[in-house]
Amino acid sequence: MLSLLPQLVVSGTATGMLYALIALSMTVVYRATTVVNFGHGDMVAAGAYAVFVFGLGFGLPFLPAMVLAIALLFAAGFAAQRFLLQPIVGGPHLSLAMMALAIGYTLRGGLRLQWGTETINPQRPYDMDAYMLGNVVITTDDLVICTSVLLLLAALFVLLQVTPLGKVIQATFQSQRGAALVGINVPMFHALMWGGGAALGAVGGVMLSMIAPLTPDLGQWTLIQGFAAMTLGGFGSLGGAVAGGILLGITEKLLGFYVSTVFIDVTGYLVPIVVLMLRPQGLFGRRVALRV
Amino acid sequence: MRFRHAIMALFAMAVAVPAYADSTQGITDTTIKIGNLGPFSGPQSTFTPLNYGPEAYLRYINEQGGVHGRKFVTVFADDSCNEAKGIAAAKKLIFDDKVFMIMSNPCSGVAMAIKPMLVQEGVPWIGASANPKISRPTSPGIFHATYTGIESGRAMAAFAMSKPGTTKIALAMHSDDWAHGYCDNAVDYVKSHNGEIVANTALEHGATDATAQALQIKASGAQAVMACIYQPELIILLRELQKFQINVIVLGALGADFNQVVQAFPNNEFLRQRFFQPYQFKAKIGTSTLKQYQDIFLKYLTKDELPKVGPPTNFYYFGVPAAIVTVEAFRRAGPNPTRESWQKALESLKDFDTGVLADTETFSAEKHVGVEKMYAVGLSPKGQETVYKAWGDALPESE
Amino acid sequence: MTSRRLLWLLPIALLPVPLLLNPYQQYVLNTALIYVPVGIGFNIVVGNLGLLAFSNVAYFGLGAYTSGVLMAQLGLPWWLTVIPAALVGGAGGAVASIPALRGVRLFYLAIMTLAFGELMRWTYIRWEPVTGGSMGMAVPTATLFGWALDTDLRRFYVFLALVVLIVVITDRLLRSRFGRAFLAIKDNEIAAAAMGIPTDRYIVLAFAWGGAVVGMGGAMFAISVGHLTPVSFDLTELVRQFAIIMVGGLASITGAIIGAAVITALPQVFANFPGFDELVFGLLIVLVILFLPRGLASLLARAHPAFIERYYRG
Repeated sequence: MLSLLPQLVVSGTATGMLYALIALSMTVVYRATTVVNFGHGDMVAAGAYAVFVFGLGFGLPFLPAMVLAIALLFAAGFAAQRFLLQPIVGGPHLSLAMMALAIGYTLRGGLRLQWGTETINPQRPYDMDAYMLGNVVITTDDLVICTSVLLLLAALFVLLQVTPLGKVIQATFQSQRGAALVGINVPMFHALMWGGGAALGAVGGVMLSMIAPLTPDLGQWTLIQGFAAMTLGGFGSLGGAVAGGILLGITEKLLGFYVSTVFIDVTGYLVPIVVLMLRPQGLFGRRVALRV
Repeated sequence: MRFRHAIMALFAMAVAVPAYADSTQGITDTTIKIGNLGPFSGPQSTFTPLNYGPEAYLRYINEQGGVHGRKFVTVFADDSCNEAKGIAAAKKLIFDDKVFMIMSNPCSGVAMAIKPMLVQEGVPWIGASANPKISRPTSPGIFHATYTGIESGRAMAAFAMSKPGTTKIALAMHSDDWAHGYCDNAVDYVKSHNGEIVANTALEHGATDATAQALQIKASGAQAVMACIYQPELIILLRELQKFQINVIVLGALGADFNQVVQAFPNNEFLRQRFFQPYQFKAKIGTSTLKQYQDIFLKYLTKDELPKVGPPTNFYYFGVPAAIVTVEAFRRAGPNPTRESWQKALESLKDFDTGVLADTETFSAEKHVGVEKMYAVGLSPKGQETVYKAWGDALPESE
Repeated sequence: MTSRRLLWLLPIALLPVPLLLNPYQQYVLNTALIYVPVGIGFNIVVGNLGLLAFSNVAYFGLGAYTSGVLMAQLGLPWWLTVIPAALVGGAGGAVASIPALRGVRLFYLAIMTLAFGELMRWTYIRWEPVTGGSMGMAVPTATLFGWALDTDLRRFYVFLALVVLIVVITDRLLRSRFGRAFLAIKDNEIAAAAMGIPTDRYIVLAFAWGGAVVGMGGAMFAISVGHLTPVSFDLTELVRQFAIIMVGGLASITGAIIGAAVITALPQVFANFPGFDELVFGLLIVLVILFLPRGLASLLARAHPAFIERYYRG
């Protein structure tokens, strides 16, 4: 049984990278606007459907379809922030959370009206092959997902730490008012970051639909796991989100195989409970918790 | 004091026995009102073809002039596969829309929740949900014109065990009533035929991976897997089994469309003689008498009711028998049907061929599930969709 | 104060209403009544105390299963199970408050409480001998002092009485020093602690009272539906309950009542357009939050001072 450990860790890492991808896009939005987008799972699904529609509907090849889908989701995220979240930005956290959730619900309802009666096999841009590494099996999907997430992480890291945009993000995260005072167009910036988050969601949707057939609920499972990964990493930390995702992915496989598969769907809940009871600020977060 | 009297009067009225629906509710001289209950919203909405299939048939019958001069009028109601919402939807159909009967209802949980009310109000039900407890033991007016989990579960297990030497069976299940409806009965069959359940794995709806499940199945030494899971997870599980080259045969439940599952594997070599499903129909879809129904779906359903991609899936066909036997019972019940005479007429059906299902419909006062015999469908060694009676025993015309 | 007394007219005016309705409409009305304590309980923690706790469905399920299991397994009459349902719901609330006492706040608290709710659903699925697992369990016909609560009409009057009781007691609680302490904690927890308010104790109390109230709602749900399955206590249910307080109005009992009515009635209004449910539900919330950030209750409060709740900084 122990001989399967490397396989479980490798598969768990691949699954975790998928969770990390969702967590990354939510982290980008959170870093910029301090809003957790509970509707992100639906943006993921919408992104996957957009690729499908541009691809099969308009007959475009995969890559142009994906580029168009990313652009469309960027516009949707931008518009959602501009017209729906910006007007209530001064309100309580709860209103923002509910708004994000409701936007997602509306999106999902729309997808359901159109495609709710069927499960769609999306087109694959590459064939699925399996490679042996010793006695560990790795699939093309695993490789593509891991590479994409690491590339995205690197790109986002450069964007946030090296470029001037990163300073803008950091400034608005620390104090929106201060940022506005030094001449940053905070609302425009927020809208752009929402667009960016939604566009990343489209990428996540494409990755997910390589693995699972298309239904309007495509993003729901990973949304929860992504949220859990984000929590583990400490909200707002990019590396933490990825580490949290991988931790979840591997725990899920080990718990599932060595203990029981009935624990797989609650790993995303059990791990954050254990971690947060021991470390209320998450594994990589700064202490923001309150103690009185 | 007067106030207290008013309150007491109110309570007296509350205690009064409620009026029962009359036995011709929903029937006028020109129409018969049918309630079509289904998960039109929520994650289970992929099952709504079970609602649209019978609707297409009723529209077809209407165009033929209806039954005894009456045309069918359908009222749709959305239950989202949620008990509380389903009860509201069923009550709306019964008390607001005043339908004659309720049809389709793919969600077992909702069906179980509304059953006491249906029996109490005397509202007939012919549904597609898998839970066998709905129609066994029999209740007045409650019928299954299609296979329940007992028939399908047995068919899954029987086909798997018809492969010589197969006794070690593994399970892959969702944790919901639908999955139990199939797998519990498959397990009963396996155990009563000297088989053994060597692994029981949970694979939840929405999961993106099944590594742990596949490896547990491999470690258990199972020869066959009963997969009581929906289409997305079935595809995921099959991919994992392929990835690890695990040599088991896989029996899907009726929650997936065979052709769509096969299409998810551009090179279907791995699935040949390995992936099977219980098969409800008397021939391959699109051939023989089933062709006629395909034409009915395409002609009478709107663009929104049909799949956006590809031909009507097997759920459309599986939904139809409910409507066929309903119409037949109305024909037999004569020009002045009541709920009682309709039920009597339905119970008089013997060896009635729907032109759809593998078995003929036979009902009686003690037997409210019309069909029993099922086939299995799989890919032949050459990769052709083939209908089997048992392992290696293909229907002659199906290859 | 006298104008607040006028609010008693509302339940009295409701008394004859179900007699004019058919069983379907009565059932919808009952469902709305069930969601009133559910919304009130949710609101205490989220609205009045201002903590991001999303474990409301856990208390709802605990109450429903406590009531259902006691009736089915021990043969207790329903009215005897309402108090245990409240106690178990309240205990659930106390458990859910543990992370908050550990200093976990904001989205960290959100995921922990969310996780608690989902783990409870997982427990209903796995604890098959007691809960019937995912196949669910049938709840026997409820009785009240030997009187069978077997029609929606009968249940309505019992539910109404219970809901009025819950509203009155919660209203009292929130307008006492407890409610003021909740408000102080919501405004500035550190300042509240510095003023000598035992914040921990009040946080536990708010969670437990919220849980107890929602648990009673669960007991009502159990007999109204008559068949309990874990699916009834999933994340969709959480969103529905969250929508009740957001659409009705945060930190407002009137809001919970209005929210319960609107969110229950909405799918029925669109019942003849199957498939539009999620779309309409999402759009309604978007519009309400956009144009009435304090919920529909703020409309009432604007219309008549009787609807202004004094513990709320209106």
